[in-house]
Amino acid sequence: MSEVQRRKYSQEEKSAVFDGEFMPHIDSMYNFAFRLTFDEDDAKDLVQDTYMKAFRFINSFEQGTNAKAWLFRILKNSFINEYRRKSKQPAKVDYQEVETFYNSDDVDYQSTTDLRAESVKDMLGDEISNALNALAVDFRTVIILADLEGFTYEEMAKILDIPIGTVRSRLHRARNLLKDKLKGYAQSMGYNTDEEEEE
Amino acid sequence: MENTDLSSGERKLQCSDVSKCFQLLESILDGELGEEGKELLKQKLDKCQPCFEHFHLEQAIREVLKTKCTKQPLPEKLADSIRQMIQDVR
Repeated sequence: MSEVQRRKYSQEEKSAVFDGEFMPHIDSMYNFAFRLTFDEDDAKDLVQDTYMKAFRFINSFEQGTNAKAWLFRILKNSFINEYRRKSKQPAKVDYQEVETFYNSDDVDYQSTTDLRAESVKDMLGDEISNALNALAVDFRTVIILADLEGFTYEEMAKILDIPIGTVRSRLHRARNLLKDKLKGYAQSMGYNTDEEEEE
Repeated sequence: MENTDLSSGERKLQCSDVSKCFQLLESILDGELGEEGKELLKQKLDKCQPCFEHFHLEQAIREVLKTKCTKQPLPEKLADSIRQMIQDVR
């Protein structure tokens, strides 16, 4: 075997790792699960399943490495394998959003000239939250990981099993889409935007 | 040689490569470029109005995301039920 054979944890060590390194992340895990499933019961099940898997595979967790990233990876995979399939949202919604995005040439320009930092700061939690929730799941996920949870690109690459370059570009696209949603809210709420001023 | 001592009133109003610049700014905000990023950021913000605005917008969005989208209340008994499940399989 080329891998270093790590000794197995004793029962006491398992408990210590589980309570000391896994359980402290439960709030972040639940927040992530809820933003993936939009359903309290599904989110609960997903978090429970994740912790059960984490315990079952605890010997493949190396102490001192990033437990939060390890747990998020399990949760993300469980979601894809088990929850996404039975999700009520049709997959084609995701598709449309991606298509629309790729067909528009001037997303950068549009989204930055019409939205002001001040308008964003004035928005309510619900508006921000709804804008985030309206993104297709792949885009929503990178924003959650980067901006809500503070993962680095390298950690995100491991959690999502994609190259770092893809993390960077997907995040950039996700943020442009989010700004478009926020711009929509800003305009509907009558916040100051450049577009209105020019008319 | 370009004048590096522009005041904020003298930022250029057009960014020649919006897409590339904005991605760079986002990487800097994400802390991916370390010390080198700080220097690059200063240069960009001093010289380019679109970059300046984009940076502040991105910063504001990150701030509201972090403060307003991370507080989904944990169901009361979830932690306990997970501990119980683990007890049962031990």
